[in-house]
Amino acid sequence: MNEFGQILETINIGLIILDKELNIRYWNRWMESHSGISAGKIVGAPVFDFFPALNTPKFQRSCKSVLTFGNFSYFSQKLHHFLFPFKTASSFGSRFQNMQQSCSLGPLRNGDNVITALYITVQDVTELAEYEHKLLEMNMKDGLTGIYNRRFLEMRLRDEFERHTRYSRQFSVIMLDIDFFKKVNDSFGHQCGDFILKSVSAKIASIIRKTDFIARYGGEEFCCLLPETALGPATGLAERFRTAIAGLKNVYQDLEIDVTISLGVSEMSPEISSPEALLQQADKALYMAKNSGRNRVAVL
Amino acid sequence: MVPAEYVITDEEKEILQEIMNIAFGKAAADLAEVINIFVVLSVPYVKVIKAAELPDYIRHEIRDFSHISIVEQNFWGEFKGSALLIFPAGAGKELISLLDDDAEASVESGSIDLLEKETLMEIGNILIGACVGKLTELLGDVVTYSPPRVIVENNPREIIPANLFDQDYSAIVMKTVFRFDERDINGFLFLTTNPESIKWLKESLYGFLAQYE
Repeated sequence: MNEFGQILETINIGLIILDKELNIRYWNRWMESHSGISAGKIVGAPVFDFFPALNTPKFQRSCKSVLTFGNFSYFSQKLHHFLFPFKTASSFGSRFQNMQQSCSLGPLRNGDNVITALYITVQDVTELAEYEHKLLEMNMKDGLTGIYNRRFLEMRLRDEFERHTRYSRQFSVIMLDIDFFKKVNDSFGHQCGDFILKSVSAKIASIIRKTDFIARYGGEEFCCLLPETALGPATGLAERFRTAIAGLKNVYQDLEIDVTISLGVSEMSPEISSPEALLQQADKALYMAKNSGRNRVAVL
Repeated sequence: MVPAEYVITDEEKEILQEIMNIAFGKAAADLAEVINIFVVLSVPYVKVIKAAELPDYIRHEIRDFSHISIVEQNFWGEFKGSALLIFPAGAGKELISLLDDDAEASVESGSIDLLEKETLMEIGNILIGACVGKLTELLGDVVTYSPPRVIVENNPREIIPANLFDQDYSAIVMKTVFRFDERDINGFLFLTTNPESIKWLKESLYGFLAQYE
């Protein structure tokens, strides 16, 4: 084997060559060891015979544009996770079932500069993807309550706002605030206040649907983002939060400390020009609820 | 003084514009046939300036775009240089719907930006490949490309440093309009090339014309 051949066989990257009919022409040792399929068995076969799930419009288009126009094409881990369904290389528990891959496709030309084949490179990026996931989680959760933090909420709100502008999807938000929270802190201490914050957020997190998001917005203020939800059902949900918290028994060091919440609800509409404006509207409604006696839901 | 052989005359500019329109017509036909992307490409004007003037030119021309996305790709052949394809912010999201696969359904929350970046890369790659590839093909050259780089939605002031381009290089400015599915997406295509490439281009332009004389 020549020097280049040795590199191709030992490099820590999967390398595949496909001919114009998408038959496999080359399958390096990395691909052999991760797929469990030997080069002898797979070379000459159509790639879709062994990997039928690869036959997607995006993959087909990528191959055609590489073979016809000499373009490059990429399959990022973030969007596609993987091209080839391999097990993760590490035997330790991983949050991913499959090896996460970053793949690229490029043209191969003969001596006359005519494209005769394409190559695919496959990089294992599972470990990176795991680190990234851990960092992201640390970045989007509130340390005390374990629910989402304000940064994450604002990001999701922008996404929902954009979805609304593009597809006119409904969505609503609920702003809520623990009534007389300062009194809890002043009378029972901040540890007790923290306990109440955790207790209230856990209760609400147990009520919301899978598609909703609850975040700690500020001190004792929370915000709940409800995708695909109109004002009516959102107000109904807010009312359920209110009764659930009013009926919640918080026992802290043998003391029962009952709290109530006030809530403001608003729905996205064409008149609302920014995500901030939507929150402002919910905030206004929240203050209405506060001013009209607390422990209630208000809508502007 | 730049030697005359590196300066493009009005006549040459006209030939170039004509060839670009033929090239774009052919490129559009290929895109429709091979990958089902229906795009009408047109070149309202062609201009040749010094590459060093390009940053100012871009800032001036696209000042109505507060944010832009850029796809940059180098090409190698007799004709050699780099291509910059510039879209206004938001174009990437519009382009997503052109690619009729269900990528969007599989996208996790919060990754629209990623999808946009990948779409820009794919479409940019296709358009640059089609434009540069067809132009050089008509002129009898074959070019290969570097992988594209994408910069998504930045302020133009921040991403085009004045010292990016070599003093001796020329920039061929083509204002291009990409019309997809009844929607106009304005883009600018800039090709920066070295003096040798301009010399080759001039000779090839006359060579191309000679076929019809």
